[in-house]
Amino acid sequence: MIRRLVTALLLGTVFALLLAPLAVIAIGSLDNGAHAYIAIPPEHFGIASYLSIRPRFWVALRLSLLLGTVSAVAASLFAIPACLGLTRGSMPAKEFILVLLRAPLQIPALVLGVSFLEMYYTIGHWTGWYAQDSFTGLAIAHSFAVAPYVVGTLVSVLQRYDNSIEEAATILGASPMGTLWQITLPLLRPGLFAGALYAFATSFSEVPISIFLSGSHVTPFPVEIFNSLQFDFDPSVLAISTVITIISMVTVFAMQRLLGLQIFLNVGAAE
Amino acid sequence: MKSRWNLALLPGLVLTTALLVGSQMLFLGAAFHEDLGQGRSGAAFTLENFAALVSDEYYLRSLFLSVWLSLLATGLTLIVAFPVGYVLARMRGVWSNILLSAVVVSSFVTIVVKVLGLMLIFGSTGPINRMLLQAGLVTTPIPFLGTQSGVLLGLVYYTFSYAVLLSYSMVATVPRALEEAARVHGASDFGVMRQVLLPLCLPGLTAAALVLFNVDMGGFSSTALIGAGKVITLPVLIQRTVLLENDYGLGAALSALLLGVVLLINVAAGTVAARSRTTARLAT
Repeated sequence: MIRRLVTALLLGTVFALLLAPLAVIAIGSLDNGAHAYIAIPPEHFGIASYLSIRPRFWVALRLSLLLGTVSAVAASLFAIPACLGLTRGSMPAKEFILVLLRAPLQIPALVLGVSFLEMYYTIGHWTGWYAQDSFTGLAIAHSFAVAPYVVGTLVSVLQRYDNSIEEAATILGASPMGTLWQITLPLLRPGLFAGALYAFATSFSEVPISIFLSGSHVTPFPVEIFNSLQFDFDPSVLAISTVITIISMVTVFAMQRLLGLQIFLNVGAAE
Repeated sequence: MKSRWNLALLPGLVLTTALLVGSQMLFLGAAFHEDLGQGRSGAAFTLENFAALVSDEYYLRSLFLSVWLSLLATGLTLIVAFPVGYVLARMRGVWSNILLSAVVVSSFVTIVVKVLGLMLIFGSTGPINRMLLQAGLVTTPIPFLGTQSGVLLGLVYYTFSYAVLLSYSMVATVPRALEEAARVHGASDFGVMRQVLLPLCLPGLTAAALVLFNVDMGGFSSTALIGAGKVITLPVLIQRTVLLENDYGLGAALSALLLGVVLLINVAAGTVAARSRTTARLAT
């Protein structure tokens, strides 16, 4: 009994600390005072700050949603055949190939940002097309950086994969393509969703790569908030941050309903 | 049939290799050449950028600060996150789902937003300092911005949710029956932890510690915001060199230093882990 009480108390403390920053922002965003500082608890309740969210925050938010989606989809489109090929093909040095596919995770994100900027400059110098400060440039770098999350979950699913179901399908007359579409891909779906969603979330909250590749044309949402906190603070940052928290809560709630949360536990964890 | 699967592997493999080799080679190349701005480098090979690193103590001190803070953050995160992951993995019923959702939600929200929350809570006019002042426990507000402990807290928040998820999946692979068997045979809570759970989770914990360390070494947004120009870790220094001073050659050399140190520590840790596993196998 005492043990359960102590556990509950410690757990409560940790979760209170974990969620406190988000809660404080949400409470602070409800202050209506026309002053440049943040009053916690609010002095005048109201939703004025939500109505005065800067348009550039909405633009950045839309850009980040698109960037996360494109990166997660692109990473999955390359990762699905690659992982199937890796686990079923006869390539030598499979372990080394897996290390290679997961290498972006080993390189500090900031170094990736610097090196992609350097690469884009060099390519631009050769061809006249500069990819920094463009959506394409950001999307290529993000897809590269988040692909290991999809690869990790898919490989860990494929390692525990039961081949007899596919054999049964083949015996019952399914074509190789039919087996792939009707058996293999549906069995991979939960792992794929988890990996892709984590890839999306990583891209959506990413700063160290984006900060080098963004500029006056494209600025992802986290970089916009970062700049606002560092250079010109605006109280509506609290409101847009609360919008992000709510979007995340809705997404996670939907995922829990549709697939269960267990799928998040093996992200990037292939042995 | 097998060769067709090899073909499926190729697009992803070729693209990853091209981007990996392309980006890393070019920036390492830039580190060894004089910088002429906008990605143009001098033709002659030079060690000037690296000479600048070694000659000025400032850069090395920033490297040590990064390694030190990342080590502390990794340790602190795991010490708190592993027990939380353990309790969640062993918990049954609706609370386990609610708490796990909270962890996943928090891992989806960008660290920049969390840092804003931390600034509001711990800032000099924030609720904590106001309470301490009113209670007369302190006479001046405890500083948060620009302190190493503030930066450390930022790093812990940066990786905490991910660490809980990693710990949860580690514990979930250890059958509950093993712990119950140990208890039946008279092991205390502490004994179960030390003799059953930790040895079984050790490979996973080592891997998780490395991942967290890498992330901490590469993360800079929380450090840049909380450090406020006073805590200059290597990532913060790189960002300033490249984006504010536009010195790509020196920035590339600093990045090469960061990459080299991270890879070295990973290889060293991997070797030690492999050796201790062999010794353990030989001993049994």
